[in-house]
Amino acid sequence: MSEAIVTVGDRPIREVNKEIKAALAEGNTVTVRDTRSRHNLGVGLPEGSHLKFEGSVGYYCGGLNNGAHIEVERNVGWSVGEAMASGEILVNGYAGMSAGAAMLGGLLHIRGDAGPRCGVAMKGGDILVEGKIGYLSGFMAHAGRIIALGGAAGACADSLWGGEVWVAGPIESLGVDSKVVEPEPEEIASVEELLAGRGLADGSRDWQKIVSAQRLWHFESRDASAWLMI
Amino acid sequence: MADDLKTPYEYPFPAPSEDAVAMVDGGVPDRPAGVPSSYDRGDSVSWTPESISEIHALSRLGRYQIRGFNSFNHRLPTFDDLTFVPATMTRLPLEGYRESCDTKTVLGGGSGMVEKPLELDIPIYIASMSFGALSASAKAALGYGASKVGTLTCTGEGGMLTDERRASKTLVYQMTPSRYMLDLEHLRMADAIELVVGQGAKPGTGGLLLGMKVSERVAGMRSLPLGVDQRSTVRHPDFLGADDMQVKIEELREATDYQVPIFLKMGATRPRYDVAIAAKAGVDVIVVDGAEGGTGASPELLLNHTGIPTISAIRAAREALDDCGMSGKVSLVAAGGIRTGTDAAKCLALGADAVMIGTASMIALGCNSPRYFDDYAALGTSPGKCHHCHTGLCPVGVATQEPELEERVDVAAASERVARYLTAMTMEITLLAKACGKSSVHNLEVEDLRALSMQASAFTGVKMAGIDKVYSW
Repeated sequence: MSEAIVTVGDRPIREVNKEIKAALAEGNTVTVRDTRSRHNLGVGLPEGSHLKFEGSVGYYCGGLNNGAHIEVERNVGWSVGEAMASGEILVNGYAGMSAGAAMLGGLLHIRGDAGPRCGVAMKGGDILVEGKIGYLSGFMAHAGRIIALGGAAGACADSLWGGEVWVAGPIESLGVDSKVVEPEPEEIASVEELLAGRGLADGSRDWQKIVSAQRLWHFESRDASAWLMI
Repeated sequence: MADDLKTPYEYPFPAPSEDAVAMVDGGVPDRPAGVPSSYDRGDSVSWTPESISEIHALSRLGRYQIRGFNSFNHRLPTFDDLTFVPATMTRLPLEGYRESCDTKTVLGGGSGMVEKPLELDIPIYIASMSFGALSASAKAALGYGASKVGTLTCTGEGGMLTDERRASKTLVYQMTPSRYMLDLEHLRMADAIELVVGQGAKPGTGGLLLGMKVSERVAGMRSLPLGVDQRSTVRHPDFLGADDMQVKIEELREATDYQVPIFLKMGATRPRYDVAIAAKAGVDVIVVDGAEGGTGASPELLLNHTGIPTISAIRAAREALDDCGMSGKVSLVAAGGIRTGTDAAKCLALGADAVMIGTASMIALGCNSPRYFDDYAALGTSPGKCHHCHTGLCPVGVATQEPELEERVDVAAASERVARYLTAMTMEITLLAKACGKSSVHNLEVEDLRALSMQASAFTGVKMAGIDKVYSW
């Protein structure tokens, strides 16, 4: 596979993405330079694409991804990997708000911290954050796993429908209708296997697995006090 | 806060039975507490059967009431508060029975950003209603009926149904805050994308689908646990304000390669400002859904007490676009309580480029039709007054996920009814347009209307009949 270089600078994003797609179509591995934290870089890329963004990128990097492998050298803005169905996104720095929002599948790996609402409305796949996840992470997620190695800020896993939030490290507070449960050994093995695959093997982690308490799944008059909170 | 869940207050006596709370003792089965028809009407201005039954219902449920259909607030004006003033001496009419009147409607062609604007044969289309709220057979029938007359349907919140994509020649894919099963593949199969920030029935609040309708298929499409009372988010997961939405719109254009228009649907609350901001955010089509807008399920108070009337919203929205120089660049669609071609023509005259019908199209499918009387009775209702979409037990199969009920929508016949109804509505619009001397339905204008009440004039800026002046607009 040959390598191609695309330079962003102050060019129109439409032109940049067109050039990225053309280079990918020729079977290149693409390196994107001078990214200047621009928004909407690498949106809706074809399956099997490989590309790397130098520096930092803005909002929606790798949005609607369906099978591309994307690496960002530094930080990402809001909603990295939004609605990703498959593929892999690696962020070497920090992520802003709503990382992996409404994600359906694939893997989003953030080496630093993730901002608020990480994995909000998530429907599947895995979000792995080596640092801490921000407040309201996992808000109203349906399925999938959010794994945070550096703890969680407030209202963690608020109003989960389903899915799991795994936290190693302190949790500032749990969100409404979520509860910490004891993970099964095979579930821990599955999480550790994912981590080992990312070079993060460490058998000594003290996991807290958070799931929906299912109190807000149904309208019930006896839960009127819970109702006042949503 | 979450701790409140773990430490409920305990009475110093045993918990009452649910029957006792519901005041079943001494009652009769056909006059249950909490239903207006169980009560006789007295003279109190405050304590009417409606308000008394409401309190009995709330004190039983411990939550707000939920129902489908649309507003029961009789203070809302209707389209009947406006009348047309056709050509007479100052203007020349066209031959209503003979001459042609153009009904072609283009949505999303004004910005020059979009490769494939939507070209419709008529200025009416079918509103976004989800599979989930509606049955698969109802969705398919709407798709076929709309396709026959050259217009579009919209997916609604529940994701893209294969039956509907097959049935509907032109399909708008709705992107609600909940994003049920939204992915790139479906986006690229759509002819347009609609970002939803609100709806007329319950502006400021997310979608609602009660557990009875969250069937295996619906739950699968929405990746929800089977049978949960689904209460959707109202804020989008990946942006907050209008400036962020502008970036989101660019993302959607990138993902769909600038091929399809982007719609934005809002409930009518402050359209003069909301529409201006939406236009600035860069959408191609703005859908303003008035307070009369319908729904499959909503907290009742939001249906009755939020939003502004459709007729007033259209005028404010059009003026906003005019003021921003965006008329012609952004298309304006009006919705909410539109029943006939006459209502639709009034919307066009007030400033809409097209109208969207939801409940009316359900009624064409068979909603509230006089048959299956026992099944209506089992819901405590009857044809003509049924608003029980939320129960999932729709007697005519339109708003249900029960297989045996769903079969009551004969797809072939229902498709044909929808097609004929849309055709009839279009004829009604052209008849009025021609009477007003217009060779295109899009030439209808505010001057073609007069208001029949000061209130309607004040709501719309339409001149009062008689004095020919606008009441304080």
